Amino acid sequence: MAINFAGRPFLGTFGLVFLAIAVLFATDTFLAKTDRVESAVEAARLFEQGRALMARGNNDEAIGRIKDAIAIERGNRAYRQTLAQAQFAAGKTADAESTLAELLQSDPGDGLASLVMARVLVKESRFAEAISYFHRAIYGRWDRDAAESRLRVRFELIDLLEQHKFTEDLLAELLPVQDQAPRDLKTRIRMGRLFLLAGSPTRAAEVFRGIIHDNPADGAAFAGLGQAEFVRGNYRAAQRDFQVALRLAPDDQPTSERLALCNEVIMLDPTTRGLWPAERFRRSLHLVERTLGETTQCVGQYPSPELQGLLDSAAKAVKAHVTASRQSEAAESNLDLAEQLWQARKKGCKSPPTADSPLALVLARLSQ
Amino acid sequence: MTMEIKREPSLIAKLRTSLERLRQSEDQLSLVLSLVIGALVGLVVVAFILLTGRLAARMYPAGGSGWRRILVPTLGSLSTGYLLWRYFPFARGSGIPQTKFALFINDGRILFRTVLGKFFCCSASLASGIALGREGPSVQVGAGLASVVARNLGLSPKQVRALVPAGCAAALAAAFNTPIAAVLFSLEEIMGDLHAAVLGSVVLSSATSWMVLHLVLGDDPLFHVAGYQLVHPAEFGVYAVLGVVGGLGSVCFVKLLLGLRAWFMRFPRWTVWFQPVAGGLTVGLLGYFVPEVLGVGYNHVEKVLNGDIVLKMVVLFAVLKIIATAVCYASGNAGGIFGPSLFIGAMMGAAVGGVAHSMFPGFTAGPGAYALVGMGTAFAGIVRTPLTSVIMIFEITRDYTIIVPLMISNLIAFFISHRLQKQPIYDALAYQEGVHLPAAHSRAQADRMQVSQAMRTSPAVLSPDLQMAAVLLQSKNGGIDALPVVDEKGLRGMLRISEVERAIAQGALNKNVAETLGQDSAGYSTADELPHVHPDHNLGLALERMGASGLNVLPVVSRANVRQLLGIVVLDDILDAYGLAKRGNPLEPNE
Repeated sequence: MAINFAGRPFLGTFGLVFLAIAVLFATDTFLAKTDRVESAVEAARLFEQGRALMARGNNDEAIGRIKDAIAIERGNRAYRQTLAQAQFAAGKTADAESTLAELLQSDPGDGLASLVMARVLVKESRFAEAISYFHRAIYGRWDRDAAESRLRVRFELIDLLEQHKFTEDLLAELLPVQDQAPRDLKTRIRMGRLFLLAGSPTRAAEVFRGIIHDNPADGAAFAGLGQAEFVRGNYRAAQRDFQVALRLAPDDQPTSERLALCNEVIMLDPTTRGLWPAERFRRSLHLVERTLGETTQCVGQYPSPELQGLLDSAAKAVKAHVTASRQSEAAESNLDLAEQLWQARKKGCKSPPTADSPLALVLARLSQ
Repeated sequence: MTMEIKREPSLIAKLRTSLERLRQSEDQLSLVLSLVIGALVGLVVVAFILLTGRLAARMYPAGGSGWRRILVPTLGSLSTGYLLWRYFPFARGSGIPQTKFALFINDGRILFRTVLGKFFCCSASLASGIALGREGPSVQVGAGLASVVARNLGLSPKQVRALVPAGCAAALAAAFNTPIAAVLFSLEEIMGDLHAAVLGSVVLSSATSWMVLHLVLGDDPLFHVAGYQLVHPAEFGVYAVLGVVGGLGSVCFVKLLLGLRAWFMRFPRWTVWFQPVAGGLTVGLLGYFVPEVLGVGYNHVEKVLNGDIVLKMVVLFAVLKIIATAVCYASGNAGGIFGPSLFIGAMMGAAVGGVAHSMFPGFTAGPGAYALVGMGTAFAGIVRTPLTSVIMIFEITRDYTIIVPLMISNLIAFFISHRLQKQPIYDALAYQEGVHLPAAHSRAQADRMQVSQAMRTSPAVLSPDLQMAAVLLQSKNGGIDALPVVDEKGLRGMLRISEVERAIAQGALNKNVAETLGQDSAGYSTADELPHVHPDHNLGLALERMGASGLNVLPVVSRANVRQLLGIVVLDDILDAYGLAKRGNPLEPNE
């Protein structure tokens, strides 16, 4: 193709075009910068309106304002986090989940987004996933007050675990916060109780002892310590602590009930130290008698031959006449028989025994 | 001993030498100009977007009175209407038909004044809330800048024409943030040929423009959309229904727009400057009650794409937007229909999706997915570029998962639109203006023998008031079946010699040409309907039309103005051009 030049200023035209490009670039950059600033101001105005609406409980309208703010400033994560919170508060869990999924896709370490996601999942009863998101929130990034936020999240998780009796997970969450938790009395007592719930009475006892050291007149701490000792099988110690607790807080009905139970266990327990052989024998016989009664009641008319054999042996032991010289030996034999019968009852009966009945507690201790 | 001092050439001299070398090498020049035009157009379109946005923010401040929604578009359309009529007559409308006119008929020539007019009038018009889009105007601005630069560099018309699509692609890449779709659009719609030789420069300029856009505005898609996917294979059925709805909706929109445009064109010429007020007032009144109708409405599209819909409202939005856009465009406001197509499509899609999802929640995605597909469907139905629409939706949303349903819906909408509205919208709009844009088919055959190679000046041109006796005298020396009749407005028709002879046989010697032409059995009422050819038509088409009309002669008219008679083409000349024996015509073709 022939190029037809009509003697136009080739260099001049190129120069003019490049000059235009430079001027346009400067103008565009200026306009874009100004636009960004003004847009940010407008977005912030809408966002604040949204937050104010949220504070008044008008979450549906707040969602609209916050979305408008996001449409202007799409990259603002704080707006999106607040949007998710508003959606969650408005009961739109699916929308909130979608918003949070986007946020977490772009930044999986976002602590606040993970926390809100965990709350959404709790509301949807998806506990396993929720726990995972709580952990992501705990180990995630927080823009402000990171340590406090993480502790708050962990306590929120602990609340969830406590509420749904996830005791194994609960102990794992309690251990890291033991030293970080606030030192106020209420929190310390709660920590002690949580350790108890998580199946760690030794740690619970430590916590309560610490509280008693600092507050010797705190009835709740004594009640907690009593409970810890009771769970550990230290019934005498538990009895003492419950008694102190009731002296400090006489109206504490649960502690009063625990003390009564504790007394009953102590009275039934044939392994208590310092018992005379005759008393030990009497208690062993009483234990066999109660075990036989409970087993007979639950197995019905047609027990298995093995169980029937044990029942016959127990009935024989109850009726047997034992001389004083053989009482120690008979006591050991009775305890062995009671334990065997109890194990057979567990297998042969459909209904499980009550875990905190005095009989169950004493026999559990025997099996240890 | 003599010392020779050898001076180093100055920087300017080096630059001059480099440019001289550049202008000697056509390939290198094309490469450099594609990059330069891409950057220049990208920056101008970014400025256009930013300026429009800032103006809109000033015109509609937060918490402003509702009356603004009536006043601003009305005043905006009045002021821009006057400017367009008085100073920038070629900057009206979308810009796509004007660009095609410049490319195929006017040697790629677009005036700098038109570029300026399009830029500022469109910016003001769109900022005032007129329900039109920025993409079509951007294409004309881009094409115009490419044309201005190329012509000022003294390039040949062929080179200018080669750079115009590059300007179009650069503009669309920046306006929509869709570089691939911009390339496809330039080839599919503007050039009408996906294998066009300008592909390289179009790709380069599109990519450059897109890079400039990212440099200034950052990397943000036009719409942020939640990820969607096909929930159940049965959903294809719903997407097919969406294709039907989208196709029918597109046809309604196009027919309404064309009908209104034809209606406005029937008004006297002196009303042209305030006709746009009809659009401004309509959109203002609608916008007073339903603000979503104002402007292009991309923010509402995004909300719908993310499933934020109320079924009744999206149906209302779609209907009102169709009305508002059709009136705004037909009344002569500056702005395009790309953006409104996407809005209308998104609303139609959301409506279909909303109904489907409420009926079959377990088998269908949310309405947002359908809104997304609906955008492409309406685009394919209205603009008739199915391939571009698929890629464009993908690029706009960056969501690949919905691409198959999108293709199905698009093709159905395209098919329905093609069946019910034969002429594509841009060609139809140009046709209404008296411009006959060459179809892709005729452009593809441009290398065959053309009418221009066989045409000649007419031996006689009849005046409508000429009497039959005089006509008979003039017709005797031609050997052709009909003669062109031309009045002060241009070609009025072709008068058959047989009609003249019949009139004379009946003794009507005093009867004039106009009366006889009016009684012509063919009964062509306008020049548009009259069988004719353009100089770039191939001779085969001329033969076909001669056969259809029963004449051995056809008028050759301008594509830019079908009433402008350029000459005639006669059967003998065509046969001669093919090297066959003449029937004995003494006249030679003029080219």
